[in-house]
Amino acid sequence: MNSRYDRNIGTISPREQKLLGEKSVCVIGCGGLGGGIIEGLTRLGVGRLTIVDGDVFDISNLNRQVLSNEDNIGMLKAEEGMRQMGQINSETRICPVCAFYTEENSREIISGHDVVIDALDNINTRKILEDACEEENIPLVHGAIAGWHGQVAVIMPGDRLIHTLYDGDENYGMEKETGNPSFTPAVTGALQVAETLKLLLNREGVLANKVLTVDILNHQYELIDFGD
Amino acid sequence: MKVTIALKGTLKKLFEGDTERVFEVPDNCTCDEALQAAGINYKETRNFGFVSVNNKRVMIDSRLSDGDYLKAFSRVSGG
Repeated sequence: MNSRYDRNIGTISPREQKLLGEKSVCVIGCGGLGGGIIEGLTRLGVGRLTIVDGDVFDISNLNRQVLSNEDNIGMLKAEEGMRQMGQINSETRICPVCAFYTEENSREIISGHDVVIDALDNINTRKILEDACEEENIPLVHGAIAGWHGQVAVIMPGDRLIHTLYDGDENYGMEKETGNPSFTPAVTGALQVAETLKLLLNREGVLANKVLTVDILNHQYELIDFGD
Repeated sequence: MKVTIALKGTLKKLFEGDTERVFEVPDNCTCDEALQAAGINYKETRNFGFVSVNNKRVMIDSRLSDGDYLKAFSRVSGG
């Protein structure tokens, strides 16, 4: 093994590091959450990442989306993700999908991956994603942010946590009041990367059937049980 | 019976900065009724998300027991 991953070792074993190189993860959304998640997984040494977003960078993304910069405004987020990750770790194969995630393409995009990550920004598409993950029998790592607040959960096929968590018809939450600063996607996305690593390596301590709510302003971190 | 109610996220402003409040409510009342006793109509509250009792997710019409800790969370959906 080359020295690229020396500082991973201890947290994970050399055998686990090698195993990561054989794993594939699909990240739905390359914005605030997705950018940091993609970078985290690339630096860890995951073998293949499919990164999905039909949007282009806008100047209002610069406050929090780590893949955005003043030179790539107007460029496709997924293509930029591939370009930038290629500069960080050429051993990770990045497959960009420059399309919005919809009911029509939902199963095709995620099929064959070991884990899918929810880095979306609306509830309706999250429900489509949960349905597709259930049909494809793939674990889903959920994350969402608003202002000082974030939440993370791991959804095993059949748990239907998204449909329980968002049981109304609304498509958005308090982020429309609070906006999203730089630090909340960083904290929440890092937790999603850690949960993904645990799933890929079959480690204990996965947040299954629980939602971790994070209040960075008051430092309140609460685990809510969503099991039967 | 007495229950403690805590509001999270932007709901917190409805308690004017208090972390939590204790309310005297009728025995066997629902989460919805307890919130109404606290002056909160969840259907009319912007970005009302979900409720938990003693850190377990419950439905809004679930019934409470003496000493229960009811939390109401804002809906969070950004990415």
